[in-house]
Amino acid sequence: MTRSADTHCPYCALQCAMTLTPTDVAADAAADAAATPVTVAGRDFPTNRGGLCKKGWTSAELLRAPSRLGAPLVRGADGVLHEASWEDALDRVAASLRGIRSEHGADAVGVFGGGGLTNEKAYLLGKFARLALGTSRIDYNGRYCMSSAAAAGNRAFGVDRGLPFPLEDLDDADTILLLGTNVAETMPPFIGHLAGAQAAGGLVVVDPRRTATARLTADGKGLHLQPMPGTDLALLLGLIHIVIAERLVDLDYVAARTVGYEAIRRSVASWWPERVQSTTGVPALTLRRLARRLAAGGNVYILTGRGVEQHVDGTDTATAAINLALLLGLPGRVGSGYGTLTGQGNGQGGREHGQKCDQLPGYRKITDPEARAHVARVWGVSPSAIPGPGVPAVELLRSLGEPGGVRALLVHGSNLVVSSPNIANVRERIAALDLLVVCDFFLSETAALADVVLPITQWAEEEGTMTSLEGRVIRRRRAISPPAGVRDELWILAELARRLECTATFDTEPELVFEELRLASEGGIADYSGIDYAMLDRGEAVYWPYPRGGTGTPRLFADRFAHPDGLARLVAVSVRSSAHPAPRPGELTLVTGRLLEHYQSGAQTRRVPELADAQPEARAALHPSTAERLGVADGELVELSNDRGTVRCRARLTTDIRPDAVFLPFHYGDEQAANLLTSDAVDPVSAMPEFKTNLVRLARLIEIEVPA
Amino acid sequence: MSQLRIVLIGYGPVGARFVEEVLPAVEDGSIALTVVAGEDVEAYNRVLVAEYAVGNTELGAMLVGDRAAAEAAGARVLLGVAATSIDRSARIVQLDSGEELEYDRVVFATGSRANVPTLDGVERHRRDADSLRKYATQLVARDDALPAGITALRDLADAERVLAAVQSRKRIIVLGAGVLGLELALAAAHAGAQVCVVHHGPHPMPRNLDRGGGLVLRAALRRSGVTVVAHSRAEAVAFRTDDDGSRRFDMVVTADGKQLRGDLLVLSCGVSPRNELATLAGLRTAVGVVVGAGLASWTDPHVFAIGDCAQVVPRTEELAGQRVLPGAPSGLIGPGWRQAEWLAAHFIASVTDHGSTDAAAPAERDAIVMLKAEHIDVVAVGDISADPWDDDAVHPRRRVSQWADPEHLRYVKMVTEDGALTGFVSVGMPRTAAELTLLFERRGELPADRSVLLRFDGPDYDPSADADAFAPGSTVCWCNGVTVGRIEEAAVCGATTVEGVGRETRAGTGCGGCKGRVAEILARAAETDETPSVTA
Repeated sequence: MTRSADTHCPYCALQCAMTLTPTDVAADAAADAAATPVTVAGRDFPTNRGGLCKKGWTSAELLRAPSRLGAPLVRGADGVLHEASWEDALDRVAASLRGIRSEHGADAVGVFGGGGLTNEKAYLLGKFARLALGTSRIDYNGRYCMSSAAAAGNRAFGVDRGLPFPLEDLDDADTILLLGTNVAETMPPFIGHLAGAQAAGGLVVVDPRRTATARLTADGKGLHLQPMPGTDLALLLGLIHIVIAERLVDLDYVAARTVGYEAIRRSVASWWPERVQSTTGVPALTLRRLARRLAAGGNVYILTGRGVEQHVDGTDTATAAINLALLLGLPGRVGSGYGTLTGQGNGQGGREHGQKCDQLPGYRKITDPEARAHVARVWGVSPSAIPGPGVPAVELLRSLGEPGGVRALLVHGSNLVVSSPNIANVRERIAALDLLVVCDFFLSETAALADVVLPITQWAEEEGTMTSLEGRVIRRRRAISPPAGVRDELWILAELARRLECTATFDTEPELVFEELRLASEGGIADYSGIDYAMLDRGEAVYWPYPRGGTGTPRLFADRFAHPDGLARLVAVSVRSSAHPAPRPGELTLVTGRLLEHYQSGAQTRRVPELADAQPEARAALHPSTAERLGVADGELVELSNDRGTVRCRARLTTDIRPDAVFLPFHYGDEQAANLLTSDAVDPVSAMPEFKTNLVRLARLIEIEVPA
Repeated sequence: MSQLRIVLIGYGPVGARFVEEVLPAVEDGSIALTVVAGEDVEAYNRVLVAEYAVGNTELGAMLVGDRAAAEAAGARVLLGVAATSIDRSARIVQLDSGEELEYDRVVFATGSRANVPTLDGVERHRRDADSLRKYATQLVARDDALPAGITALRDLADAERVLAAVQSRKRIIVLGAGVLGLELALAAAHAGAQVCVVHHGPHPMPRNLDRGGGLVLRAALRRSGVTVVAHSRAEAVAFRTDDDGSRRFDMVVTADGKQLRGDLLVLSCGVSPRNELATLAGLRTAVGVVVGAGLASWTDPHVFAIGDCAQVVPRTEELAGQRVLPGAPSGLIGPGWRQAEWLAAHFIASVTDHGSTDAAAPAERDAIVMLKAEHIDVVAVGDISADPWDDDAVHPRRRVSQWADPEHLRYVKMVTEDGALTGFVSVGMPRTAAELTLLFERRGELPADRSVLLRFDGPDYDPSADADAFAPGSTVCWCNGVTVGRIEEAAVCGATTVEGVGRETRAGTGCGGCKGRVAEILARAAETDETPSVTA
């Protein structure tokens, strides 16, 4: 008899609950050769309430996809990847790492992690880098995701938990301000939680595109503001200006719970509504109405997404959103608040336990001597054995193959030649490496460049924990056994550590790794020490921080913020005129983003037939009036270019985009990769690259039919 | 490198920006900065004075200067102290406190003062070089005193006078129909005062609007409760003696004999740069202090001017000989801030050796004028006098598009050269105005179909609305990307319930928000199914 497993979706941070029931292969195989090894069913859970999106429903397609890797691949002398035994592949990796390390030093080996890894993997990867490799050079793709909001949250609140309240709290909202997030496509079951605000006419979406989420505001359900790309910060400063000028500030709250108000007041005095209108394209009256609505009382939430965060001033923009929330007295009040919507499956847990270059488990700072001492004790090493801070993702990638830079790179849970900015440069740097090792299920664009590819387990084949966008720790459970030739990353790390003669412990049982993570996180900001698998398996709703012997924290900030004095910081921010150059005549602003059918770099979803059929290729969304000027018709091939690269794809005409902008999804590889055009300039605080306001030229490509 | 001593005269929003930008060099000791503020108050955003004057905001929300930060960095900020003369040969600024300040560079950011028009009954001073020399103490760094019941609207004291009148719902007469006068008139009317605007042109904002835009604006003003008296040149004011024996403003008398009674007369007849200190110091002044592209005085390379008092005229041999110089200060804050930023960077570069700046401050394009009022949206820029039917032979590349709907108070005119916007007027169409503003500033090309820009302001503007909600391609379930067509197909194949459709197509199996629409589609499909069975 088959037993089903209660687990969560492999994709985004909403982590919809699902039940996987192994298919009785013997009985079904003859009837349906294409049967997936498990059947997916939605499971009732507060976040998804039994619902799943198209990506979730079809997730099992990948488990036995023909393109799935079934054995390690090692690049031979002929330059081609050949199947190899695990023993040979790992020996080769270990030997190569040892050689590079002895010749160029420990920092010549780098690690690039991912926000999709379980807590156990993310934790162990950080430990592996610091102890087995002895390198400081570790960072991860969350740098492209959550870094700006994380930096802003830490600065303002002293802690970074995406949603400091349970998602269900949104159900009772009167007003929800969504800044730069398209949840209707990126995490569709989320929109069920917007129904209350919609019914109250209070769903407000700020997005330069009229997205599926923006459409939810139609018919009196709210408001869609369509600012010029790159002007989010001015828009927020304008809202704060109105809130202050019209005396809508919650002065008691500001006095009791924050510091820094005077500087904020001064910083927005020069952003009166009409000036904001001429900068953003959003009418002054709309701004006034929105500010008044936000201040009108009731339950009010301000939520940010990548649209406002993935900028060279993303930290300041998220900070401005937080300032607005603080002036209105929202954070810490039950039924109101500020939050950022984490994107990747374990984008929350993945940013807490040591994958970040400056971080140790428990969201500890690697530069803090006490933090080092604590973690060193748990790891059984001397604090001096833990390297210092490394460098963030973009800088790490820039150093590949350069003198003094990284010469060997291990990649886990990331398809960085699709998801990184300025891909041409990344490809060039990767080509200069002595060794590239990629762990993946498929031969992703990045894996295809590797010297060694290690095939790994998928979500339905493994145990572990994830931390969802609301800071809730949940269980990933195994429904079926992995194919014979693939391995779990915990095992891979342990095997490599052994070969590198590292004496530290590298458990391969997820629960044992979690037990160690508990100790390592104890007393840290993200304290998991009171959490164990048994309580998760009982179905308890567990939100960090959860100290040993204490309780979890569904809602943060009720009495105090996480700074030593308990007060939130209002940090004055200003618009840097150089941050977002406006398009010159003939240029368009390229906005990159996501489609319903695909997840991140598309390495998985492009291999699901139903999803690939619906969105088989990148299409550049263009306003019809712009298309007319450029002589482009719907479905025609176009070329988008700037001095970083060129993308060739088909055009899709839609009035949902502003005439001065063009939208490209970033889920595709090769010559359709949107990130060929994005800049690797980064935010000075968070090191987030600029993904949203790059300038491009667009021209029609003439199709020439080649006679057969 | 020795310390550069800078004296800044004036501490309005432009002066405050200069201080903010130059502060890093003050902090590291390479620049010594003294600010002679004039007004006895922290620098505030003058753009918001009309808001303050009707009680919509308070001083705290208008402050832009950070005197504490400036002083912490080592700058001296002298509030309530005025400069009375400059000895350029000795490089000394003389203050009314008696103190003398030595300088290497002096920067004028003295701004402008409200014009007082020629009116019988109101004293008015000339500020030419001779008068200034004769009456320096009355004229330098001081504004003309106005009789009781008459005020300009420039500083906080003016605003307090207006506020008192607004709060007691007095009758306010605004003389002049420029942007500032209209902003005050609208805000005061909205706050409950009785407001009458008197002006001599044919329509409000004559310098910025064409006739169409002006007439639509006039209609909008009237609908907002503002009385507008056009074609009326004010000639005199008359006074009354109140019970307490004080003499106050009583009425404005116009050239054609109209007598307009009120409790407060607000003069809104434009502004003039505060030049007198420069004039007295022998610096070349025209409308404002004449400075070259590098913001340095034509007369003295150690003297600079920024903001409302600066008239930027790139110096040429030809111009140097002329009595009348082209241009005038814009009177707008944006260009002033950009000058402040540029000049601060220029000074910092000069003391740090490394790093140089462009030789010239960024050239300004025509400044966009916006009426700040909550219920009337007016934006205009550039030369908009052209007409759609003008002879193409004169301006072969110029095109004009126009939309007028006076009944609904909407008007737009767009003037382009080779498709790029060179000027526009927009009244009553905020989204359109905002888009045109962005296009103008970027010199962007307008969409070939200009009406795209107008449609933003349609109450039914919804780019998705062109799709019929029941068209086969219309998406019903966003979570699963299921269209009407796919649901109808499922219905044909026997899925007759919402749950059945869900099993078949996954529609409604995400957030569940679309289940109602799925039911509607099923009901429609059932209807069309029944029709043939009845006829059969």
